Amino acid sequence: MGTLKVTMTDVDGDTHTFDDVEEGISLMELGRQNGVAGIMGDCGGGCACATCHVYVSENWVERVGDPDDIEFAMLDMVADVMKDNSRLGCQIRMVAELDGLEVTVAPASSY
Amino acid sequence: MATQISQDRTSERQALTAEQEELLEAGSLADTDIQARPHAFYTAMRRGDPIHYDARLGSWLVTRHEDISAVQSDPVTFSVQHGYSEQQARGMRDEFEAYLREHGGGYFPDAIMSDPPYHTRIRKLMEQAFTAHRVKELEPRITEVVRGVIADVVERGDGKCDAVKDIAIPLTIRVIVEQLGLDQGMEDEISRWSVAVTAQIGAMQSRETMLQNAALIAQLQQYLIAKMKACEENPTEDMISDLVHAEVTNADGSKEKLTFAEAVSLVRATLIAGNDTTATAIGNLFYVLTTRPGMAELLDSVVDDERQLNRFIEEHLRSEPPVRALSRMTTREVTVNGTAIPAHAHMLLVYGSGNDDESVFPEPRKFDITRQNLGRHVAFGGGPHRCVGLALARMEVKVAAREIARQMKNMALAIPESEIRYTPTVATRTIESLPITFEKREG
Repeated sequence: MGTLKVTMTDVDGDTHTFDDVEEGISLMELGRQNGVAGIMGDCGGGCACATCHVYVSENWVERVGDPDDIEFAMLDMVADVMKDNSRLGCQIRMVAELDGLEVTVAPASSY
Repeated sequence: MATQISQDRTSERQALTAEQEELLEAGSLADTDIQARPHAFYTAMRRGDPIHYDARLGSWLVTRHEDISAVQSDPVTFSVQHGYSEQQARGMRDEFEAYLREHGGGYFPDAIMSDPPYHTRIRKLMEQAFTAHRVKELEPRITEVVRGVIADVVERGDGKCDAVKDIAIPLTIRVIVEQLGLDQGMEDEISRWSVAVTAQIGAMQSRETMLQNAALIAQLQQYLIAKMKACEENPTEDMISDLVHAEVTNADGSKEKLTFAEAVSLVRATLIAGNDTTATAIGNLFYVLTTRPGMAELLDSVVDDERQLNRFIEEHLRSEPPVRALSRMTTREVTVNGTAIPAHAHMLLVYGSGNDDESVFPEPRKFDITRQNLGRHVAFGGGPHRCVGLALARMEVKVAAREIARQMKNMALAIPESEIRYTPTVATRTIESLPITFEKREG
């Protein structure tokens, strides 16, 4: 058990607060382990499928940072739901600096 | 995440034309003409009977995008292990298995074609080898290999080649041979072995061809087993060695070594999946470049723009998915989109149809790299069984596209389009041979 706090709002609008998050776990793993709706993580954290897409809350965008080129290329495949604060959950690993992080799970790319 | 399928969801069936009604009545995915030119059959099913029972195949064909997505998200109700096992050497499984036990060093069930929770730990192990970031590190070396294969063909100087046999197949084999640490110069054997393995899920074998293929698979296994035994004693810097020595992590955190049989199945799966389907994608790329007006020009216009080139490749995978359909088997009676399916029924998720679903991809036959939802295509499947090598496959096809555009121009089909032959199989849509002419593009 860790001590970091993360708040995730899922695709159904339900908010999940975790206050015992370990360092090193990714947001995709955290969401998948806890059944957060909308976090699928099909590719297993390989930055290759865009099924763990989250929006980072305004206050955290700077500390979380921007996606690299590989991550951006995946986000571009769901361009209709991509925003400036989009990230893939598998590419955000929890560290002390992110204690208190708030994200919202992005909806699936549209029909 | 695995979710249980909702049995209440239904979506509208559309009226069919008389021609479509007849196609549904008389058609089958086992028909080689339909396999070669499937779109009209897919459209008829998708509109009028989206979960269609194909009596000749004895399989339920799932054809709408929403239903494919729902089924693949529930790996417990829809078993890959049973679906794959049922499809393998269909109707002749016992004889196939006995042959390999006697001649092939053993029968090694595919560890990755399994159900959770067993699947989860095997899958995790394979995922580590194929992340997009690891694959990116391989790009310079893969570019060198691909550049070499195409340059050899271009330098022959006669301006013609078989794009499938001279480029697509040897190219993908060389890449995976290097990854795994197998011997160079065995492209022909590996190509034959791959076809033999893939034929097992194609549902089109006679007893005679099954036995011929089993003999080839036995050779493949004997070759891999010898390589793997050598790696057991002297570890090397490649994937075979990684798999021979791999440990899987159980849910409670304890570690366990892969069994030798599991490792053989995973090396075999990596070798086959790593070349056959990717070669098919590259063969299909040559096909569209030589037959669809404007495609070669479009590729030329995006080749130096990484973002647009990525979109081009993704739209190509949507538009011409190499894997047509993969198996599931129901573990209980279940209703999918209003259609009741009995327990222990064989199903095929028809990715080729899902990618053409107008409700997700408007004007599906139009090649449009500006689509805003390209990531929704199901060429790699989806859910917990989504293709584990997808990042490598994408990259190989992208590098191939780039090198084709840089080294070749004015490509044209050297045979009438109607003479193009497809491999008889329900599992993939694979061009067997594609003679083309071209000119060398001077750097």
